[in-house]
Amino acid sequence: MCHADANLVVRDPGRDIAGLSRNPAGRIVVAYACLVAVPLLAFAQESSHPAVIAIHPAAAAISSSSSAVNEAALDLPDAPLPAREQNGGGQSQNPKPAQPQKTPPGANSGLTLQGLGFSPSQTAANAKLQALLNKRTHMLQIHQKLGLITLAPMVTTVLVSSGAKQKHSHTAVATITEPGSSGVDLHVALGSLTAALYGATAYYAIAAPKVPGVKPRGAIRLHRDLTFIHAPGMVLTPILGAMALDQENQGEKVHGIASAHQYVAVTTLGAYVAAMVAVSWPIHLKFWEPNQ
Amino acid sequence: MRFVVALLLAAACLPARAQSQWVLAKSSLTWHISHPVHTAQGTSHAARGKGVCSQGECDFLIAVPLNTFHSGDSNRDLHMLEIVRGAEYPMVVVRTELPQAELSQSTFDANLTIQFAGQTAQYKDVPFQRMQHGKDVEILGTIPATCTDFRITPPEFLMMPIKNEIPVTVDLSWEPVG
Repeated sequence: MCHADANLVVRDPGRDIAGLSRNPAGRIVVAYACLVAVPLLAFAQESSHPAVIAIHPAAAAISSSSSAVNEAALDLPDAPLPAREQNGGGQSQNPKPAQPQKTPPGANSGLTLQGLGFSPSQTAANAKLQALLNKRTHMLQIHQKLGLITLAPMVTTVLVSSGAKQKHSHTAVATITEPGSSGVDLHVALGSLTAALYGATAYYAIAAPKVPGVKPRGAIRLHRDLTFIHAPGMVLTPILGAMALDQENQGEKVHGIASAHQYVAVTTLGAYVAAMVAVSWPIHLKFWEPNQ
Repeated sequence: MRFVVALLLAAACLPARAQSQWVLAKSSLTWHISHPVHTAQGTSHAARGKGVCSQGECDFLIAVPLNTFHSGDSNRDLHMLEIVRGAEYPMVVVRTELPQAELSQSTFDANLTIQFAGQTAQYKDVPFQRMQHGKDVEILGTIPATCTDFRITPPEFLMMPIKNEIPVTVDLSWEPVG
């Protein structure tokens, strides 16, 4: 700008630069003008701040309306605009509504993720991992729903178990009352339904994809570890139940390992409920609060 | 004439001298969710940030990888990553501009632009507290984020969704550079 102004004044005999350089007062004027202009130039090129940017159009307006700019000056080629203005990015002379997704605040100040020390691999999208996470969540949501559904027949099976048990009288003459067939059938049917639903629930947990490098931590670890109790229980309980039923059908008192059927069943139910509570812990019931 | 040249050079250097920078030394960012059955928090200490002050204005950039938030339950953390599309958009990026004068006040409001989960949301006049610890400055505040701001479908647990509000508490310690 200082150089362009010098060209301008060359065309004006009253402001001959050669004359100024010979004149001590003229030197002071030139030096002062350059001193003022240089910092302004530096701001305009380095900063993205709107208050500073406004200097540029204002200066253009002043120079176009100034009487010092004569027809000869208008013949001069325009000074090149900064690249950002040419691209219309961020420093438009006519401010537009903010478009934060394209030019968020500070985006033009040289602050970048790479500048913070993040590597491109840390900031890059990983569609494959996202697909794996989506599939995992989808399968575990089914696991969760099936698990909740399984709880209903499991509890009911235990509740109706009294109708499928032998009754022992402890009078002088010990007698055994066999259970009714409907009670046994209901217990067996509910037990079978529970086993089938449990199997489906387990399938979705086992088949859900694992995320490489992530080890189970926290409540999910307890949830997983309790599987080592209720999974064998779910296998043993129907086997022991079938043995007990067989002994009942033969008119025998349930004995041996078959007598552990109910204890194994109750332990299995307990571990199953504990596994559900584990992933909900700590429980703070707040049903009365609005959700949205 | 040499004197004039020296003056010009000195004047050109003025803007560079006026610039100051801040770097994030320590950070703690914690999201909070609330569910009818329980509440949970996830914290990250892995945020990085930088601030550049020039001509009375400061630009700050803070970014944190989503996979550095830990809630104490790896399953919840993975589910969080899935629901916020953390593999597609692995970073939370926060930008703000502040008048430099506000950095010396004990409380100030900031306008934040947050890029998260593939969306950009702006929060106006978020109140922050400032505490001076020697040369370092600690900034405390809570960003009132919601699921809807970032088009996140509230995740469900036991077939009940979490609350829409997912406030994020921030505790940032900045130290001046140079």
